[in-house]
Amino acid sequence: MRRIALLCLCTAAAWAQNQAYQPDSNWRAPEQAASRANPLADRPDAAAGGRKLFVRHCAECHGADGTGVEKKRSADFHLPVVQEQSDGALYWKITNGNPGRGMPSFSRLPELQRWQLVLYIRTLKVH
Amino acid sequence: MVLHIATQLQLIMWRTLPAALISFLLLAPGMARAQESPLFVTYTHHLEEPGNLEIETTTTTGVPRSGQKFYFAPYMELEYGVTASWTSELYLESQSTWGDSSVFTGWRWENRYKPLQREHWINPVLYFEYENINEASRIQKEIVGGGPDLSSPNALLTAARARELEGRLILSSNYRDWNISENFIVEKNLSESEGVEFGYAFGISRPLGRLASATHCRFCRENFIAGVEMYGGLGSTLDFGMHGAAHYIAPAVSWMLTDNSSLRFSTGIGLTPESNPLLIRFGYSYEIQGLGGRISRLFGGRP
Repeated sequence: MRRIALLCLCTAAAWAQNQAYQPDSNWRAPEQAASRANPLADRPDAAAGGRKLFVRHCAECHGADGTGVEKKRSADFHLPVVQEQSDGALYWKITNGNPGRGMPSFSRLPELQRWQLVLYIRTLKVH
Repeated sequence: MVLHIATQLQLIMWRTLPAALISFLLLAPGMARAQESPLFVTYTHHLEEPGNLEIETTTTTGVPRSGQKFYFAPYMELEYGVTASWTSELYLESQSTWGDSSVFTGWRWENRYKPLQREHWINPVLYFEYENINEASRIQKEIVGGGPDLSSPNALLTAARARELEGRLILSSNYRDWNISENFIVEKNLSESEGVEFGYAFGISRPLGRLASATHCRFCRENFIAGVEMYGGLGSTLDFGMHGAAHYIAPAVSWMLTDNSSLRFSTGIGLTPESNPLLIRFGYSYEIQGLGGRISRLFGGRP
């Protein structure tokens, strides 16, 4: 029974996941912004706060596990196309949003909280 | 008869409001953003997230000068994020004046549009509002001309309809964790020949905590935003200027109670004889995330 439940859960997760995510080629961080380093890079403990912020602000569109939602065309944070971007580029994207694709700006959050989100997104990298 | 029904409705509201508020706080699911700007009059460039609906009940309470009466003006606001660049709001407002009466003062439909796609040093937002109210309106979401009439009785004020168009240019900047916003307000009453009226609102605000803690907490600094705003009237095309108008300076604070509800409070201090000595505002907002998507799915559309 447990195995069936687990299989159903995995199937549902795989169905909801946005493996087909196609990044918007026009949505690129300027070089100067992309080269910014994360001021919390030496504080991995801050990623836990980033997880809380992620659930609050990002999970609705990107899924609670960050795999993206196909119907919303939102990014799957596990994919290399996301993880290969620099911290500065992710920070810039969180700050500016991409209104044309439905991604709002999160510049209302304090700067360090946006960097915490970047830290948390890094923990989603598939090793 | 209508007055009797209104009084009964008010009684029911006051009896059920505390229970409803407590239920909201206890049952609120933790899946939405509700970090509200503490400023009541000054708008920033931060819009509602697309598909989210925010329901807010706010009161404006005026402490009177001699010759004026104490009043209480509650209003309800439904704010919806149509897209990432466009937010639309509907207001329903009323007013009770001590020793006078309680009246429904009308409705407003407001739209804010952010024309630039990226964050800039100064972020402009265009604001358009249609108001179908009467002269008894005292919610004071904006102050234009000389400000509201605080002396005449409600019977006289409600008889005077005011169909108004309001426009604002909102300029808003984020500097580090500070937000600095300026609103320039223009309003035309289509029901009267009183020229075009002007007003202003400036505000600055900042979250008290910069880092998010790992656990959920109610009283930690990250849940509070403090700010101060100044707003008032600038006369009209017939008599432009700051003289003879209401002006206020208002320290304000917002507190994120849960992930989807916030409280806001501000105490406006009247700076001129046309102002109330104190204008106290209190608001509670509750946000429903992804409502647009859920409704869209009901009708077989894409979220």
